[in-house]
Amino acid sequence: MDIISQLQEQVNTIALLALNTFGTLQRDAPPVRLSPNYPEPTSKPSQETINGEHAKTTSANLVQAAKTFDALVAALPLSGEDEQLKRIAELQAENEAIGLELEKQLQAAEQELKQVQEMFNEAADNCLNLKRPD
Amino acid sequence: MAMATSSSYPPPPPYYRLYKDYLEDPKSAPEPPPPIHDATYPLFGATYTTDVVLPSLEDQGVRQLYPKGPNIDFKKELQSLNRELQLHILELADVLVERPSQYARRVEDISLIFKNLHHLLNSLRPHQARATLIHILECQIQRRKQAIEDIKRRREEAQRLLKESLQTLDGHQA
Repeated sequence: MDIISQLQEQVNTIALLALNTFGTLQRDAPPVRLSPNYPEPTSKPSQETINGEHAKTTSANLVQAAKTFDALVAALPLSGEDEQLKRIAELQAENEAIGLELEKQLQAAEQELKQVQEMFNEAADNCLNLKRPD
Repeated sequence: MAMATSSSYPPPPPYYRLYKDYLEDPKSAPEPPPPIHDATYPLFGATYTTDVVLPSLEDQGVRQLYPKGPNIDFKKELQSLNRELQLHILELADVLVERPSQYARRVEDISLIFKNLHHLLNSLRPHQARATLIHILECQIQRRKQAIEDIKRRREEAQRLLKESLQTLDGHQA
């Protein structure tokens, strides 16, 4: 896949990871104490540790995805538009010249092929004429 | 359901009748319509123009976060947008803990950053197209040079063989 598509994929991956991180954290969050009048809500301590580990892994994934994005951006082979247009003009001129040269060589080669074929025909005719009819 | 099975497709346009004598006289039939140039045309209910240019963010009603101008330093802008995105994600996490009812603004900011990121990446595509063209031209020049070398080599070999055979013939005759 070309690098720009990879970058686009990476952006979408970061979005998906952020979505999943917040989604799971919100879904699995223990209830919160609303006001001092109400009693403290009961929460199992085992769930908290699970959430803590889960939060660590998901956030590590998110940061890793962001680092990958940075690395891909650094690997972009960018150059100015003017340089590219100049290079394209140079290559077109070179292509044109080489095309003419190729055509010249091709024509010369076809000419020689025709000559050789004529010579061969003549030689074959001479051979036939010299051969005694049996 | 019965209507759907019994309804037929619309008939083809009747222009085929104009081409009855096309084989005998190609000029008796009308020319095909010319390609549209610099015009808008409707396609499946939506209007399109022949000008294929990426619409700017303002055209889509989205605020542009990176600076405008003729030459944008794509790498720098992409990396700074990435860092801003991470900061905004952290802010969102904070807001969800402290003031959960104010999430909407943060989420909007994050989606704005994503739109800017994608727009920047899309505006890199013309550069990629030019780079592909350069690569294609280089490959073509390479192939043509190779073909020229091949032809030269074969011609020289043919000349050599002819010379040798002439020498052999002269040797026989003499």
